[in-house]
Amino acid sequence: METRGRMTIDAQGDALLIGGAIDEAAALHELVTRAQGGRLVLDLAGVTFINSLGVRDWIRMQAAAQKADIAVELRRVAEPLVHQLNMIIATRGNATVTSFSAPYACDACGREESLLIDALVHAAGLARMEPPPMTCPECGAPMAFNDFPERYFSFLQP
Amino acid sequence: METRVSSILIVHPDRKTQRIVQRILGVTGYTVDIADDLEQGTRLIAHLQPVLVVVDGSAVLSPRIDEFFAAAKARGAEACMTLLGGAAVDQVPKILGMGAVTNLLVHPMPVLAEELTITAQKLIRNDVFGAEKYLLWGTDLSSITLTRASQRADLVAQISEQVRARGQSARVASMAMLVADELLSNAVHNAPVDARGEHYRRELPRDQELELDDRHQVRLRWGCDARYLAIEVTDPFGSLDRDTILRALAKNDVREHGSGAGMGVALAYRSCDHLVFNLAPGKRTEIIALIDVRHPPTERLAASSYNVFVERS
Repeated sequence: METRGRMTIDAQGDALLIGGAIDEAAALHELVTRAQGGRLVLDLAGVTFINSLGVRDWIRMQAAAQKADIAVELRRVAEPLVHQLNMIIATRGNATVTSFSAPYACDACGREESLLIDALVHAAGLARMEPPPMTCPECGAPMAFNDFPERYFSFLQP
Repeated sequence: METRVSSILIVHPDRKTQRIVQRILGVTGYTVDIADDLEQGTRLIAHLQPVLVVVDGSAVLSPRIDEFFAAAKARGAEACMTLLGGAAVDQVPKILGMGAVTNLLVHPMPVLAEELTITAQKLIRNDVFGAEKYLLWGTDLSSITLTRASQRADLVAQISEQVRARGQSARVASMAMLVADELLSNAVHNAPVDARGEHYRRELPRDQELELDDRHQVRLRWGCDARYLAIEVTDPFGSLDRDTILRALAKNDVREHGSGAGMGVALAYRSCDHLVFNLAPGKRTEIIALIDVRHPPTERLAASSYNVFVERS
């Protein structure tokens, strides 16, 4: 496993697993050289937060990928990154988000959970701002989406 | 001979809001006067000596606002607060774009009562510093002093761990990390100025180690009272000024491009529910970020309050 400041990179299958904090030491733009067959796949489930310098580097990575005609796929995008994708349009680049975490809460037992949504399987519903139904892993009751769909899914809009 | 008494003037078109704000601010002991619009407010102000004026967000966007602010200032008003009902949060970018509003309170009741009372008391008493003012009695604030720049990473990680250990959600912990990281980074690298006002550490790489002597040490305090998680960062330079803050808060290119000076402050503002700047020019800058831990995301506005307080000498 490689460490850059507070960020870790680990190659697994066709993806690079990114974990920790994306900050001034991340040098994300260099990851473009690790694309395989014209694709750069980033698994972002382990990202804890991204600061302003990390955002700047993320945007440079997206620009470098576009320039090199490399398709970027973002998998299991963690909530802190979803918030940045929603807040800062430039972070989206031309990347395709195939899955991402989203907040759910159980009305029955009060549990809050970040659950993975497959953006391809649920594409039609997400386009209508309809979160997929989820079941509470603790009590089995239906969980409610714990944010405004219009706000949380805005990064998926073209 | 006419005796004029210091008062608070409210300019708001909605009768119910007028009454709510009047009740909240009445506890300060000041007379509270009310106007329905800027025209009436400007007429009234000629006969008043308001210490504070409280203005509705829609009035702030009126072309008459400059005339009103000038009249209020001439009559001795120390500051102006702008209120924005929850239904008008889409007006926030316009108000920020004016670059003139130093106190914007966006939340509806009951949070409005807390924000309004604290803001009014700080302004009237000229006692602006300290996160304690935003937290319930008995709330413990942890305090740490940065003596090396590289401590930032550890401190941010510690806050996250402790916030989670105290039962807060991963979302709150993540917001706390981002806010603390940005405020600490600004205090270490942007705050230091030399005698000519040059920010001599601004261009240094943020991952470069720096020993922070007494003059450069940064204080971090944080605590949670089950309403707010408060993160307070203080530097001993006091170099941050009102106009720089208002420019950073108004940054439109954060949304479009995510770059440029002031990005850290802009991101911190958009990642908390209330951002407070306490300034003692040339002496110290204290920034307090408040993250609401009471309400789930579905009950939180897509906008945040802010205050810029400048200590009167």
